[in-house]
Amino acid sequence: MAEITNQTSQNKNKRTQCNKKSTRVDLTPMVDLGFILITFFIFTAALTDAKAMNLVLPNDKEIDVTDAVCESCALTFILASNNQLFYYEGKEENALYKTSDYSSTSIRKLIVEKRKRVMNKIGKDNMVLIIKPMGHSNFKNLIDVVDECSISVVKRYYIDELTESENKKIAEISLPIISQ
Amino acid sequence: MPKVKLPRKSTIVDMTAMCDVAFLLLSFFILATKQKPQEVLSVTPPNSISAKAAPDKSILITMTKDGRAFLTLGDDTKKSAILENINLTKGLNLTPAELAKWNKDEFIGLPLNQIKGSLTLKTPIPPSKLPGIPIQDSATNEMVDWLASVTNVYAGGDQAKLQEMLLVKGDNQALYPVFKNIKLAFKKNQLFKFRIVTNGEAVPVGSELYLNPPVKK
Repeated sequence: MAEITNQTSQNKNKRTQCNKKSTRVDLTPMVDLGFILITFFIFTAALTDAKAMNLVLPNDKEIDVTDAVCESCALTFILASNNQLFYYEGKEENALYKTSDYSSTSIRKLIVEKRKRVMNKIGKDNMVLIIKPMGHSNFKNLIDVVDECSISVVKRYYIDELTESENKKIAEISLPIISQ
Repeated sequence: MPKVKLPRKSTIVDMTAMCDVAFLLLSFFILATKQKPQEVLSVTPPNSISAKAAPDKSILITMTKDGRAFLTLGDDTKKSAILENINLTKGLNLTPAELAKWNKDEFIGLPLNQIKGSLTLKTPIPPSKLPGIPIQDSATNEMVDWLASVTNVYAGGDQAKLQEMLLVKGDNQALYPVFKNIKLAFKKNQLFKFRIVTNGEAVPVGSELYLNPPVKK
């Protein structure tokens, strides 16, 4: 697309007649290229910076620090295989297992509604989330739930292990494990 | 009334200036962005809404998809001290020359008893063949020993700073038991706070955090 204009010189001297070519080059494609590269670099640069999320573990050694949790304040999530999510409210003995999933519409709604119920009953935000990942749940599942806790500003949550009876119960109701 | 004659002007604009600006910006962005360190261990971390940037100097535990664990000692000032410490406490019998060679490794991904052997090899084992630090069961969890050495070396220093440096980076598909054993290793060394490397994500509109963001100190 370089524009070259032929200018025949109107020189009267016929011996030195040569056609002068313009040295102007159309720079539009070069500008295009420059901006494409800029956008590429901006996008890749923005995607590479990793973020860090805090995770605090409970100190099991300090046994004297007991923290009573009211029964109606507890909400337990059980992260099972194949991205299945189970939950129950209150104590384990009379737990009613329900299924949910990791999408924002279901898990976030669960937490928000639970908080409302706790607020209505007790008058303050005493909700406690217990996260129990199973052996075949993956890291993403766990981080998703912990992230939901920070999205919904859950003050108290902890990661725990499943009990025997819970394991049995989940084995009955969950889908068989598909090896990944 | 005579017609007003408008002189015809060429629509061609001189692009030189614009070209200059484009490349000036380009060179600025290239120089301003940090070079991404080459990733030998391919890991796709999960997303989170956390906005805190992960520190460059860190003690990073990487969990791969297939359940192997690696340790990267990013703090060059303390790296050799940590390696020397584990050499002493676990009786690896490494010579100073071997320690110096080990110090050049980017990350650690071998059981302790295989380290001396690997340092005598002429060609290093490729990362895909490394077995990782054994953490599969709690009896032979070598991450405990590693973190013990780390705490030993940082013992006199700023503990809050150490907490900021402890990072765990896991693949989306890594299974939970691997993370559980890493968690146990932290706990056994009285380290109760660490951070997880994630990809940033925007806070969802309408959520509690979105409506009432925490007041910045």
